[in-house]
Amino acid sequence: AQAASSTSRRQKDWMKLIYSSELTPEEVLRGKEENLTEADGEDDDDEFFRFKKVPRNEVDAEVDCSKHAWKEEDLKQWEEDEMLESIRGLFITGTAAE
Amino acid sequence: MAQAGLVQYSGHQHLRLRLVLSLLSGKAVRIDKIRSEDKNPGLRDFEISLLRLLEKITNGTIIEISVTGTAVLLKPGIISGGPLTHDCPLSRSIGYFLEPLVALAPFAKKPFQLTLRGITTDEHDLSVDLFRTVTLPHLQLFGISDGLELRIKKRGAPPAGGGEVQFLCPIVKQVKTLNFVEPGKIKRIRGVAHAVRVNPQFSNRMIEASRSVLNRYIPDIYLYSDVYKGEESGKSPGYALSLLAESTTSALHCSEAISQPGVAPEDIALQATRALLAEIDQGGCVDRQHQTLVLLMMVLGSEDVGRCRMGEPTPRTIQFLRDVRSFFGTSFKIVAAEPMDKECSHLLYSCYGVGYVNSNRTLA
Repeated sequence: AQAASSTSRRQKDWMKLIYSSELTPEEVLRGKEENLTEADGEDDDDEFFRFKKVPRNEVDAEVDCSKHAWKEEDLKQWEEDEMLESIRGLFITGTAAE
Repeated sequence: MAQAGLVQYSGHQHLRLRLVLSLLSGKAVRIDKIRSEDKNPGLRDFEISLLRLLEKITNGTIIEISVTGTAVLLKPGIISGGPLTHDCPLSRSIGYFLEPLVALAPFAKKPFQLTLRGITTDEHDLSVDLFRTVTLPHLQLFGISDGLELRIKKRGAPPAGGGEVQFLCPIVKQVKTLNFVEPGKIKRIRGVAHAVRVNPQFSNRMIEASRSVLNRYIPDIYLYSDVYKGEESGKSPGYALSLLAESTTSALHCSEAISQPGVAPEDIALQATRALLAEIDQGGCVDRQHQTLVLLMMVLGSEDVGRCRMGEPTPRTIQFLRDVRSFFGTSFKIVAAEPMDKECSHLLYSCYGVGYVNSNRTLA
């Protein structure tokens, strides 16, 4: 899966995606998925007013914040010794990246 | 106002950067449908507070908010700067307000001497520690340096805050063109651990835990335990660890983690440390949190080609690139930094600067 995602990244034409597509920023990054239209099964006629359903990803973008929100699994992998060693080449003490 | 100089948007997202672009470009901006479908429609208190702050730091700015609060029109005036004080609401930290100001302050009429009160560190925005150690050095890349300072007078942890910082920023006529394509290798790691209204030993425990991971890489690690006592430590208890890694070419990567109820200081430190490693792994000359600031300054740079190597754009950055084109007509050239290397996700961003001249300064 790692290799697949990196090859799809290679093929991205960023300028076209950013400047001449209608995709939202999230879609540009993750690739366009068919928007899962939530089943509007529940007909709650009890209430006269109803709140409009907001697509899931819009809720995620709710907070205008600058700090990168790390997901737990992204950080979890840094518990592994192998992972810690993999970036040694990025430090001055490390030999050429291998 | 000519209708041609008006840029329109819908939705509350990306509000801060759009207001900044409006003030710098001189084009009015109208944003409607602000949470119009929400249970609680309209602008939030921190957004209103931000608009008030922008009104304070400028002269002649007209801000019109609709009765329901779901639409706002901003006609920019000149950025005046000077000595000012602003109380930030407790719903967002000082970082939320500082971020747009950092981009505006160099282009003011008078140097900024701004005092902000509120929460100094929270989970959404960069803490004042990172502003001081990472964001401000990014401005130095563009020739904004003499007298650039952020003083942390008092700390204020959420929820009650009580912190105070003073932001001093010099004014410039023009910003330099950036040419930053060598990420270099990490040569040193610095950090600030602070603990207020809790056992001061907590910051030492965080430092120790962080060192246990970082010591394997390089010897040049200095994590500072910043102690604030009494009045200076704000109204709520809390602690945090902010880390930064600097490369041989002065590329900066940063991370931080703040206290959560029921989590040991060691675990907070490990969160921050792992986030730093992930950020280093991401690489590039500029980290994700500072993409928009650097790209903005590149657009404003002198009429020459500015270049910078960074990782993939964040969603914020993508929207920002689109917004920049609406306000300044500038688009970036974005290509793979190393087309031969399939593993490398770095991109090279380049643009032709608009040659922005600080006209507020000459007006006096």
